[in-house]
Amino acid sequence: MYTLFHGLYKYLTQKDEFWVLILGLDNAGKTTYLECSKTKFKKNYKGINPSKITTTVGLNIGNIDIHRVSLNFWDLGGQTELQSLWDKYYAECHAIIYIVDSSDRERMDESKKTFEKMICNENLGGIPLLILANKQDIPDCMGVREVKPIFNQNAHLIGRRDFMVMPISALTGDGIDEGIQWLVQSIQRNIEVRPPKNAEDY
Amino acid sequence: MVTKSSPALTFCSRSEVVIVEVKPTADARDTEYRPRCLSPATSRSVTLTMGGFYSYFKSLFGEKELRILILGLDGAGKTTILYRLQVGEVVTTIPTIGFNVEQVTYKNIKFQVWDLGGQTSIRPYWRCYYSNTDAVVYVIDSVDRERMGIAKDELMYMLKEEELNGAILTILANKQDVEGCMNVTEIHQALGLDSLKNRTFQIFKTSAKKGIGLDEAMDWLCNTLQNHK
Repeated sequence: MYTLFHGLYKYLTQKDEFWVLILGLDNAGKTTYLECSKTKFKKNYKGINPSKITTTVGLNIGNIDIHRVSLNFWDLGGQTELQSLWDKYYAECHAIIYIVDSSDRERMDESKKTFEKMICNENLGGIPLLILANKQDIPDCMGVREVKPIFNQNAHLIGRRDFMVMPISALTGDGIDEGIQWLVQSIQRNIEVRPPKNAEDY
Repeated sequence: MVTKSSPALTFCSRSEVVIVEVKPTADARDTEYRPRCLSPATSRSVTLTMGGFYSYFKSLFGEKELRILILGLDGAGKTTILYRLQVGEVVTTIPTIGFNVEQVTYKNIKFQVWDLGGQTSIRPYWRCYYSNTDAVVYVIDSVDRERMGIAKDELMYMLKEEELNGAILTILANKQDVEGCMNVTEIHQALGLDSLKNRTFQIFKTSAKKGIGLDEAMDWLCNTLQNHK
């Protein structure tokens, strides 16, 4: 009887755990994005003041609960020398958020090439890819209409993966919600390919 | 209390060195010998009633001291870093047998910084100091490629401890002033940091001798710890 209730309780309260990688070039705004999402989706959480966020060399983690799903974020450093460390996380992640600095036209090509190299990794087969054109609050930045065609050039490499480009501003928080909603839906659609990790499995 | 304006550091001198009893049974993992922690290193939890009231009211007004452990193999530069933070200059150190503890104030945040000896025989005693730790600062000698494996094992062994579950990790790749030292990527790989999936950590290039990188590390610790609570 206890087992029955315990099982029922667990069934009702259990949350599927998913891991999401936040990648992108340095200074794209990955950590700011993570802090902003945490502030939006976590009660009583005050994010780090964006002016105090420094270059990440290491890992920032975050966790948000939404629609009976628990999303865990890994935010890695984006400097060129640190990009070689990204692939260690590919095999275990359920989705990728790739952040682009839309105000930096000069490095757009570099960003595209880094993205290209990333999606060629075989461990990322079938994984939903969300590109966020960040820093939309800056006047004269590139809009989604400009960013999307650049990354669409890789359509043959993206293949049948769920793929989306969205505008956001991690500073003001615009567009964060929509991005997360899309991510949750795609991850749930992809559940057959990458089943969730639940705390008990550890 | 002396207030210096330029490095934004204020200091209270409270230093003590205690020699811990070292059993010759050496390595804890070989012999399953785990040192008993007779006197709790964390005085915060065990105080007299009045002291308890005092610290309760102190915590109400946000004057909590953050507890930081500086760990790492012997010769990595832990003591040098501690005193660089506290007095702002390089002091001549001898291998620490026991520990040094200092109160460091950085940007109005008080830190209680513990620097524990790093020699093989006294590493098992680190765990006596784990409870209530807010952050672990793990110091690496970036020149010592040979012992990187040992540094990795010690780090992983340490992070398995339940008491450190909530602690954030700062890795200081020290001695970056020496030529031919390992860079951040190499250290990340050598320490197997990709296996840490549930912990916020950050690596900093430092040189305790020249005072490079320590302010950045402290800034990050301050910001991250304030949000962590």
